[in-house]
Amino acid sequence: MTETTGQVVEARGVSKWFGETTALDAVDFTVSPGVVHGLLGPNGAGKTTLLSALFGLVLPDEGTVRLFGRTRAEAGPGWLDGVAGFVETPRFYPYLSGRRNLAVLAGLDGGDAASLIDEALERAGLADARGKRVKGYSLGMRQRLGLAAAMLRRPRLLILDEPTNGIDPAGIRDLRTALRRLARDGVTVILSSHNMTQVEEICDAVTVLHQGKVAFAGRLDAMRADAPDPVWRLRTSDDAAAREQAKRTTGVKAEGRDDGGLVVFAAQDRLDDYVLTLARDGVAVRGLELDVTPLESLFFQLTGEPGDRPAGPPGRERPPVTEEPPVTEEVP
Amino acid sequence: MTLAADRWPAYPEPAPGPSGPGGPGGPATRTGPRSGTRTVWRLELAKLRGQGRVRAIAAACLVGPFVIVAGLNVQSATPGDTAFGQWVHTSGFAIPMVILGFGGQWLLPVGTAVVAGDIFSAEDHFGTWKTILTRSRSRRELFAGKFLAALTFATAAMMLLIITDLLAGLLAGTQPVAGLGGQLVPAGHATELVLVSWLSVIPPVLGFTALAIFASVASRNSVIGIGVPVVLTLAFQVATLIALPAWGQQVLLSTPFTAWHGFWEQPAYVGPFLYGLLTSAVWFTLCSAAAWLVFRRRTIGGAS
Repeated sequence: MTETTGQVVEARGVSKWFGETTALDAVDFTVSPGVVHGLLGPNGAGKTTLLSALFGLVLPDEGTVRLFGRTRAEAGPGWLDGVAGFVETPRFYPYLSGRRNLAVLAGLDGGDAASLIDEALERAGLADARGKRVKGYSLGMRQRLGLAAAMLRRPRLLILDEPTNGIDPAGIRDLRTALRRLARDGVTVILSSHNMTQVEEICDAVTVLHQGKVAFAGRLDAMRADAPDPVWRLRTSDDAAAREQAKRTTGVKAEGRDDGGLVVFAAQDRLDDYVLTLARDGVAVRGLELDVTPLESLFFQLTGEPGDRPAGPPGRERPPVTEEPPVTEEVP
Repeated sequence: MTLAADRWPAYPEPAPGPSGPGGPGGPATRTGPRSGTRTVWRLELAKLRGQGRVRAIAAACLVGPFVIVAGLNVQSATPGDTAFGQWVHTSGFAIPMVILGFGGQWLLPVGTAVVAGDIFSAEDHFGTWKTILTRSRSRRELFAGKFLAALTFATAAMMLLIITDLLAGLLAGTQPVAGLGGQLVPAGHATELVLVSWLSVIPPVLGFTALAIFASVASRNSVIGIGVPVVLTLAFQVATLIALPAWGQQVLLSTPFTAWHGFWEQPAYVGPFLYGLLTSAVWFTLCSAAAWLVFRRRTIGGAS
């Protein structure tokens, strides 16, 4: 009898090489029941390879992967029972309609999956396009069909690789709501993304991958505690005076921007004090907006992805990789 | 068109099955039938029915022999360089044999390759391996189901062609036909020989099916999957023109397509047919095993 830890996903020391390229380097990845777990990382970090390993599409060169406490060898053909989702863009037979594609997949699943097809299409907002050939579907419609295909399996673990690709803002909002509802009903969701903001809005826990290694793993609130100050864009009537005032204000750092205005690193409460002081000094605030959230700042630090964002104030050290504590409480 | 977010609670659990219910947080019961190969096979056949090329081949098998009979009726020339070619205007039984003589060289290997050479690589082309391998079917079940579907198509197409060939021949006339030994074969026996001759080419057709599947699996490319059997057919034709030793001729997968000649000799002999059966079995086994070995550990998708 295999000893299980109660984790839905438990990957230990997973490594995968493609020729000279190290896609995964001794990755530990655990996901607790009933949470929405974000898998973050820039392009090429190893997210898709890890998700592929969970599905058995990629066989690890080292390490073990357990789903619901069982390795693939222990579980046999039923290893993916209760597991659904997609890796990269969901792909279907273009010469078949959306409904016919789902019928093929339901046929593979067996049981009563076929009876769920129309309901799944309606949930995915594809009821009107059910008879249309998939080759005429947009990227967003294929993503929706991928979600519908996943729901046919009554998943207890839903694995979604960049599910918002091609989906419009309203669709993203709806997907966020849908995933929260699924998690509330006990479904564990793994969501990969390179968008920290998106993950921040929906996930309970997160694993950040960078160059095939785990750069951070833990609860999102733990990540927030490690995060640096947010970054703000500030425009004033007198930027020189505003910079001088920042030097005199504790917890506030301001730098000039190449295109005018200031970049300010400060926590919310410190920023409030700073803005009030500027007003008292006769410096008008003409614009103030959040540029980089704390978690985004941390993400950029962890992954060394400067993008077009400031790297953050000097002196902040990268937080250590932490073992994710089991998440056992109810998800609200 | 938006997601119906308010309708996304998890589906209720199905009733507990014989293998036990899936508890909260645990895996759901496997709802599919355990006979996964049969399930995949049936679905693959359904997918094949939806493909235009499959319908075109079926239509060609259905009406092709009748078109050939009609074509022969409007011209006086005969395909004299083919076995039975000189008798096409005197006996309907010669027509299916002429078609078999020509078809065995080209049409049958190409016909089966068009489907078998694409049945695996089409999943690569459409990127759908990831879709079907994330369901509750193992690679073994998917491989076996697809393999059997390709064999089923090849056999079904052959059976259809046998029936329509014979019917077209009977329509053209039921006069006795001259055998390859010069003997006159009466209608009843000729019917039997036509059927047996056509059935004798099913083993090499299945050999070419396995060859096309191997090419399809190994290359992940339908053009190569279909092209390799076609090119090899051409190579075999060239090889038969050079002075190969007898064993060299025997190992060619094209040789069993002419084994039926012995059935029409006087006296009849079956040695070439038995050798052809062995040759086809060896090609079939080697190609099938190689295809499975390549498929079972392949990486689906790539690093990112």
